[in-house]
Amino acid sequence: MQRKSAPAALLLGLLLAGAALAACSAPTQSGGAEAPARANGDITIAGSTALLPLVKDASAAYQDRHKAVKISVSGGGSATGIAQVAGHAIDIGDSDIAAPEHSDLHDNRVAVVGFAIATNPSAGVKNLTKQQLQDVFAGKVANWKQIGGADQKIVIVNRPRSSGTRAVFAKTVMGNVPIAESGLVQDATGTVVSVVKQTPGAVTYVALSGVTGGVTVLSVDGVAPSAANIVSGKYPIWSYEHMFTVGEPKGNIADFIDFVQHQTGLVKKNKFIPIGDMKVSEKDR
Amino acid sequence: MIALQARRSHRVERIALLGLRIAAAIVILAMASLLLYLAFEGTKTFFVDRFSLFAFLFSPTFAVDSNHPGAAVFIVGTLAVTVFAIAIGGPFGIAVGIFLAEIAPTRMTHVLKPAIEVMVGIPSVVYGWLGLTLLVPLIRTHTTSPSGFGLAAAGIVLSIMILPTVITLSEDAFRSLPTSLKEGSLALGATRWQTITRVLLPSAASGLAVALILGIARAVGETLAIQMVIGNATQFPAGIFAPTASLTTEIVTDMPGATQGTLLEHALFSMAFLLLLIAMVLIVLVRLALRRRS
Amino acid sequence: MAVTAPSARSVAATGSVRARKITNAVATVILWVMASSIIVMLALFVLYMVYLGWHALTPAFLFGTPKETSAGGGIGPEIFNSFYILVLTLFFTVPTAVAAGVYLQEYARPGTFRSAVQFSAESLATIPSIVMGLFGLLVFVYLFRWHFSALGGALTLTLLNLPALMRVTQEALSSVPDTLREASMALGGTKWQTITRVVLPSAIGRLTTGIVLIAGRIFGETAALIFTAGLSVPYNNPYALDLINLPHETLAVHLWYTHSESIVPDVDRIGNGSALVLLIMVLLFNVAARVLGRQLTKRFTGRVS
Repeated sequence: MQRKSAPAALLLGLLLAGAALAACSAPTQSGGAEAPARANGDITIAGSTALLPLVKDASAAYQDRHKAVKISVSGGGSATGIAQVAGHAIDIGDSDIAAPEHSDLHDNRVAVVGFAIATNPSAGVKNLTKQQLQDVFAGKVANWKQIGGADQKIVIVNRPRSSGTRAVFAKTVMGNVPIAESGLVQDATGTVVSVVKQTPGAVTYVALSGVTGGVTVLSVDGVAPSAANIVSGKYPIWSYEHMFTVGEPKGNIADFIDFVQHQTGLVKKNKFIPIGDMKVSEKDR
Repeated sequence: MIALQARRSHRVERIALLGLRIAAAIVILAMASLLLYLAFEGTKTFFVDRFSLFAFLFSPTFAVDSNHPGAAVFIVGTLAVTVFAIAIGGPFGIAVGIFLAEIAPTRMTHVLKPAIEVMVGIPSVVYGWLGLTLLVPLIRTHTTSPSGFGLAAAGIVLSIMILPTVITLSEDAFRSLPTSLKEGSLALGATRWQTITRVLLPSAASGLAVALILGIARAVGETLAIQMVIGNATQFPAGIFAPTASLTTEIVTDMPGATQGTLLEHALFSMAFLLLLIAMVLIVLVRLALRRRS
Repeated sequence: MAVTAPSARSVAATGSVRARKITNAVATVILWVMASSIIVMLALFVLYMVYLGWHALTPAFLFGTPKETSAGGGIGPEIFNSFYILVLTLFFTVPTAVAAGVYLQEYARPGTFRSAVQFSAESLATIPSIVMGLFGLLVFVYLFRWHFSALGGALTLTLLNLPALMRVTQEALSSVPDTLREASMALGGTKWQTITRVVLPSAIGRLTTGIVLIAGRIFGETAALIFTAGLSVPYNNPYALDLINLPHETLAVHLWYTHSESIVPDVDRIGNGSALVLLIMVLLFNVAARVLGRQLTKRFTGRVS
């Protein structure tokens, strides 16, 4: 009787429907090495929270001039930007670090950013050597007084694994020494700074663009993180800001990235450094 | 004329039944595809990246850079936070369930039940936010914890969140007992409390087991409220006030930054698949407990 | 049924009458305290959140657009998106779940198909929402190549809420006495006519209550939407009705994003305000569920409950 086979036929029919639905992917995707700008001109951007202020300001300025374009921007961390743009979930991925393992992504550098070591003022230090920094973040030093500071327990505030800031810090300061996981983990540039402000003895690594009042910014090996020191290469903790796209950017996306690269005023206002000012360059940042 | 109408309504009947069957089949399809997809993506860690299942479940190191994503830290975190929550929320919930079923006068029920309904409706982000603004500073100032984030904060928030589930199901368990039991016991001279503890409680045992199991299921699956207060440090809980992480919080913390096809992404999906399996085991346990009842 | 029948021996051999009465009284008091503490705790939560957030509820906040880096952001688009995704979700969930529930309750005969549907529904119900969100990411963002989208979020939420709505339907249907069905059939109605013209109208009150309560839960859903509907709204046209092209951050997601990712200086104000708005919406949904349910039952059945 047909009733017994009805459920089976139904499931089969639904599987076919599902397959048909899967075939109706977003019309502009070619799935190949290049993802062209979307037909309706929308741009979705996500990634580095260090770069976020600049991208936000630039996208607002851009959309004021081009009323038909819709740009959405959010944070999530550099690795998020890279992962989501590689997965075609977004159009531009912001990142503090290069992505050499992604040959499918096109690197558009837009600015340079310096990174600082920020502590709660109760820590009582103003300068640390690279070795001391390694020891602190590897968990080998438990109290600030052991390295010339106040009698205060050290509280490491980490960024998650997806953070470009963390990756830059690990590469330029820690080298092969692993960062201790014993501290807190805060997702974004802003929250990390507010936690360090509130927690006695706290210390973290953060983009200069995110530093606000209430924390002490340290010098490393006697060099302060000023724009001049970064430009000359004396201060080692810096990186390019990348806006990754799948393949060469086209259409609206190319236009917007070009716009960002020329906004020297916005770049400086947000405490970044224009690439043109740099006297040194690094291939793999 | 009547025959025509009868035939038309018969056809409507058949089409309607087909439509209903399709809807039901969608449910099966949804569950099947969920299971298959998660299994597919979640086992890539073992088949594609060739990471050992044993190491995944038991190795205490979670280091993606050295290709060693051992999830034991998060499994223990999930266990710890669940045990904490059910240790507080379980007995408390059952007690209030007993109260609702056996002791509460109607006016109290009219206040308490809507309150529980509201608790169910409160989104987990709001519980997380309450934990963040109310509980974490409290813990920070009154205990040894330097930041307030940690297992205790997560456990307390979670125990409050599972209360409605445990309370409602415990109340159901007691209400479904035949009244003859209660009447018989009272007739023999027992006090109400004796009736509850010596007669009703043992009889409602399987229903209470269901309440606890579903409370555990709720605790295991909760993500955001815990993620906002647990500290998200990839380490075993070194004490109840130490920051730690669980399977769900780890997924939400690291998934956005995990590129498709990488070991980290596969490992996170393996954790999701593990959660799925745990959920299904719990369902089977519930069915067993219900079967014991009848 | 495995019950423990009381016996004279088990009751009497427990000490003096006075001791038993004291234990009874003490236990009763303790239980009263525990039950009351829940009410008190809830009241404290609500009051605390009102205290924290009420001064944030300005028109600029409620209707303004969010800011990523400076103070003064609002949640207008997020509230809109919460409703937009809610409507989309209900559009898919209600027909499917009610149909499946009607099938299970009124038509299905015991067999593999019925057991499969029930088991699938139970399993779907226990799946953590974050796992569902990852499934949505896999299917809608990676496989279908949609970007963060409202439709992806709505479909994920549909999967999440199907079991609950099915259960509501089944309970609502089972509350309709069989005599009504029999009377309808005796008058010559077919099964389908009986269901659509007699049973469903009788059950509509309880069904609506259930749907509105579930709508309240959908409004507050976060974990499933983070990876599917996205974390931002477009600057030009934040109230877009787009289905598959634009991210649609909802209010609940915004609360989480504000806490964890946001770098604006007034995080507390936005968080407290958003949390309060969410709480108010939940309370409104709860009240609406009861009121609507009662009105509909009165209108369709003449009974009061």
